[in-house]
Amino acid sequence: MKLLDIAIKDLLRSFRSAFALVFMFVIPLLTVGLFYFAFGGLGGDDGFDLAATKVQVVNLDEPGSEYGDFSAGHMLVDLLESENLSGLLEVSEASGPARARAAVDAQEAAVAVIIPADFTGAALGAGSAAVELYQDPTLTLGPGIVKSFVSQIVDGFAGAKIATGVAVEQLVEQGVSASDAEALKQEINLAYGQWATELGEAHQDGANPLLDVQSTGDAGEEGTESLTQKILSTTMVGMMIFYAFFTAANASESILREEEAGTLPRLFTTPTPQSTILGGKLLAVFVTILVQVIVLVVIAALAFGVAWGAPLPLALATLGLVVLASSFGVFLTSLLKNTKQTGIVFGGVMTVTGMVGISSVFTASVPAASDASQVAHTLSLLMPQGWALHGWRVVMDGGGVSDVLVPLAVMLALGAGFFVIGVLRFRKRFA
Amino acid sequence: MSTDTAIRVQELHKNYGDVYAVRGISFDVHAGEIFSLLGPNGAGKTTTISMVSCLLEPTQGDVSVVGHSIRRDPMGVKAAIGVVPQEIALYEDLSARENLTFWGKMYGLRGSALRQRVNQVLEITGLAERQKGRTGKFSGGMKRRLNIGIALLHRPQILIMDEPTVGIDPQSRRNILDSVKEMNRQGTTILYTTHYMEEAQELSDHIAIMDHGELIAYGTHDELVEIVGEMDRITLMISAESASVMERWRTTDGVHQITAEDGTLNLLVDDSNVVLPRLFESATQAGTRITSVEIQEPNLEAVFLHLTGRALRD
Amino acid sequence: MRVIDLALKDLMQTVRDWKAATFLLAMPIAFTLLFGAIFSGVGNEDDPRLPVGFLDRDGGSVLSVHLSDLLNASDAVRPVALEDEDLAEVKRKVSDEELAGAVVIPAGYTERVLAGEEARLTVIVNEASAAGTTARNGIQVAATRLRGAVQTAQLAAQRYERSSEARGVSADEAFLLETLGKVVDAWEEPPLTVSVTHSAAGDQGEASEIGTSEDDAGESNVFTQSSPAMMIQFSIAGLIGSAELLVLERKSRTMQRLLTTSISRLGIIFGHFLAILILILVQFALLIGFAQLVLGVDYMAEPLATLLMLGANALWTASLGLLVGVLAKTEEQAVMYAMILMFVLSALGGAWMPLETTSQTFQTIGHLMPTAWAMDGFKNIVARGLGLSAVMLPAGVLLAYAGVLFALALWRFRFE
Repeated sequence: MKLLDIAIKDLLRSFRSAFALVFMFVIPLLTVGLFYFAFGGLGGDDGFDLAATKVQVVNLDEPGSEYGDFSAGHMLVDLLESENLSGLLEVSEASGPARARAAVDAQEAAVAVIIPADFTGAALGAGSAAVELYQDPTLTLGPGIVKSFVSQIVDGFAGAKIATGVAVEQLVEQGVSASDAEALKQEINLAYGQWATELGEAHQDGANPLLDVQSTGDAGEEGTESLTQKILSTTMVGMMIFYAFFTAANASESILREEEAGTLPRLFTTPTPQSTILGGKLLAVFVTILVQVIVLVVIAALAFGVAWGAPLPLALATLGLVVLASSFGVFLTSLLKNTKQTGIVFGGVMTVTGMVGISSVFTASVPAASDASQVAHTLSLLMPQGWALHGWRVVMDGGGVSDVLVPLAVMLALGAGFFVIGVLRFRKRFA
Repeated sequence: MSTDTAIRVQELHKNYGDVYAVRGISFDVHAGEIFSLLGPNGAGKTTTISMVSCLLEPTQGDVSVVGHSIRRDPMGVKAAIGVVPQEIALYEDLSARENLTFWGKMYGLRGSALRQRVNQVLEITGLAERQKGRTGKFSGGMKRRLNIGIALLHRPQILIMDEPTVGIDPQSRRNILDSVKEMNRQGTTILYTTHYMEEAQELSDHIAIMDHGELIAYGTHDELVEIVGEMDRITLMISAESASVMERWRTTDGVHQITAEDGTLNLLVDDSNVVLPRLFESATQAGTRITSVEIQEPNLEAVFLHLTGRALRD
Repeated sequence: MRVIDLALKDLMQTVRDWKAATFLLAMPIAFTLLFGAIFSGVGNEDDPRLPVGFLDRDGGSVLSVHLSDLLNASDAVRPVALEDEDLAEVKRKVSDEELAGAVVIPAGYTERVLAGEEARLTVIVNEASAAGTTARNGIQVAATRLRGAVQTAQLAAQRYERSSEARGVSADEAFLLETLGKVVDAWEEPPLTVSVTHSAAGDQGEASEIGTSEDDAGESNVFTQSSPAMMIQFSIAGLIGSAELLVLERKSRTMQRLLTTSISRLGIIFGHFLAILILILVQFALLIGFAQLVLGVDYMAEPLATLLMLGANALWTASLGLLVGVLAKTEEQAVMYAMILMFVLSALGGAWMPLETTSQTFQTIGHLMPTAWAMDGFKNIVARGLGLSAVMLPAGVLLAYAGVLFALALWRFRFE
């Protein structure tokens, strides 16, 4: 009973502290709220309100009269300026390459597309050409989108030219239609073009005749929205774990604060066993983290639509996190002499272990980060926060009880170790 | 131990490596009395009562509190005592009522008995009207009253008070001393530490004087004063520091002891009426003027001075 | 003079707390390295392309070989051969992000494709991840080129068969396969390419072509984002110490004592401000030095521009620290305010993730924050290679912020 009294007293004090409440709830929710806001949470039904990429186009293409009215350069420009892409690209035509590059340098545009003078000629005739994308080196997303569309067109022309060239060359080599190479070229070109058009139309209808794509993630109707949600969910769990450990450290520090304030020695003069006193304080740490996690899980689900996974694995992940965070906080506190040391130790140790532990959260939004994810994942498992994150991500990725058992076992084992060391140190200190 | 011995301290030692904080002290506190441990800062008083309160483990020796040994039955000891620490030990973010309720639970009180007792202590300490206020906002005096009130919740047989009047205003001090006497009148045994001679004199049935970890004198006020007999204490100030006048006074008939402290000279003499003229004469002969004279009848200050050669307030 | 004495007193108090000083330097360095290492794909410096599993169940058929060649030539992905693995294991590797994706060539794929029947490659990716999307696109490009090659070869073969001489099935098949091979080989040097260029750190506006055909923009230093970001973020975090100093001065009543001396209120505020400013300048200088010498972030390519940004950034940060110290009543409040400011300003300002990845609304609001302007200014120097004129606007905005924050602190201090 006295153990509960002590725990309740500590909980009362914790939840009255504005400082503690800010770190328990405000900062993690604020951080995720910022991400939610960043990735279009206020975009309403339209979802992700990605800013249109500003593009400067310079079409230097001068097709010869032999190509009639056809201009590959114009075709490319028309595609970029098409209605379909108006939500993604904001295209303006520049007077020349220098002006276009200057616009990029002045950050008036993200990328300049410079179509060379011999583009049509290279596409349909002899020679080669390169479409230049002059981009802002600090940007990746917008220029990446532009490159993707431009590459499609360029690849299409290149494909047709390769097809025609190789096919005619082969046939002529075999003595077929040597005299009528031009007609043959037209024939192959037409047939290939028809094939490419059919392929393109199939893609536009939503089918993929070439690939059967099986997604391992929880993709929504639109890839962008699910990516956004994934970033948000990953960030939320990362922040929750990061701040759970901070809260545990702060709550455990109450042992030192009470020692200095004299109320802990006073407690020792009452007929209350030392184990009850310590047990009550540790119980308070445990319950504080539990409340924090539950509140954050609920608010994140309701406000940000975070899908946490199945209930039982979620409960197990919660148990693992609460035990591990509480015990790590107790362990760290047991190493300190007084509250003067807590600032640097908690601030430094918690920030370093926390950020390394949740570092894989930061790679979620980076396209070329598969190797980076691996590096981050490996590093993170050196930290207790990393194991907590691993367990929660298993659950959030749809894992069941059996999937979460290994990370849970590690969390509980680490937790037990930290707890035992921490308690032994405290008992020795207060003996 | 006789039935009216509340606390028996037996050959208590406490050392930290080579530092000896308490060296083999022994004394008895009778049930129902006020017992003071008197001594300057660093004498070992707080260390002694920390051991009695089961906060510190003695290096050697034992203490028995109403039949419970601090070594073998600390819980029994703690149930019988209430401790008022020197520094205020309250939860400043809790209200007065919340503090008392919590501490009452730690002392084993529950339910309506706890509520009733909390109300009583709030009345006793004069904090009933401020019971819901955060103690962090209380004045120093209010905090001190609450600090004492906590120790009274479970109606302890023995109240241990560690220098409860340090650093407070005279009015609050007066209130505390009166409260101590009242609690004692109601039957509580009180073990009181202080470095104020007047407090020990006013309150105590028995006094133990400590210095450098040792118990150098023990007894009632009158018994202790007997150590210095009928000796008077004269405090003098002279116009100029003079080794020769001090030497003369040391050898003056009737002077037992001279110590210098902060520009004043303290002398223990047989009869100030007889010795004082001799002192004036010696001073004149030495070319020194006596600028102020204070005569005190035998008291604990004199006892301490006699036993240690230092003033109690050194 | 008294102002300088006050500043020196503050600096002495701060420097004596060597742990705090270490924290202010060690933390940003550590996190710059951490984030730079993570985002540099440190595990595979030689080939930064996304690893994509390649599971050939078609027994090394001609299309399997050609697809492998096309993937090897890709600028986005690189194939990683998988031997005899079952689909579940492949899916696990993709889920665990060991692979960005995987392509499985089903048994009989080549036969069906050459027979003109429907046949698709199986692609396993996490479409909810950016890496997965990129991997899928890379495989799509290779698959389109492969099937284009098949189409070409079939067209040519059909023409070949229709030619007057009858050569037999095997000759026709040989012709088809040879044509197929030549088309795939031709993709190694396509006639039309996309070249990506950007201005390197150097003269303003001068573009240097980094590469042709392939995107070499990834060769730019990954620390050009994390270095200024962590520097800016931790300079705000460092305000905790400075703000606490002011709080402690108030609590210990030495502030009140100061107010009874002949130093004016403005002098007191200025003295504290000077101490905070010097600390931040030293912090920035050391971090810039570290980034320049160790991380290869070229702040010194434009020293005047860097100096201007350093000064402007230090001024607004110091003003913020002063305001926090004046407003906070306890050490806990000082920590709370500073931490909240650090998170909000860093997130909104693009220190955690480039603002280009966020929504339009967020970007607009983000640019109301001084941190966004600070990032812009520093990135103009280290990433865009621009000079003094490019940092005038960001520096100007930061100085305006400094003025406003300082004025607020001074106004609030009137009531001290």
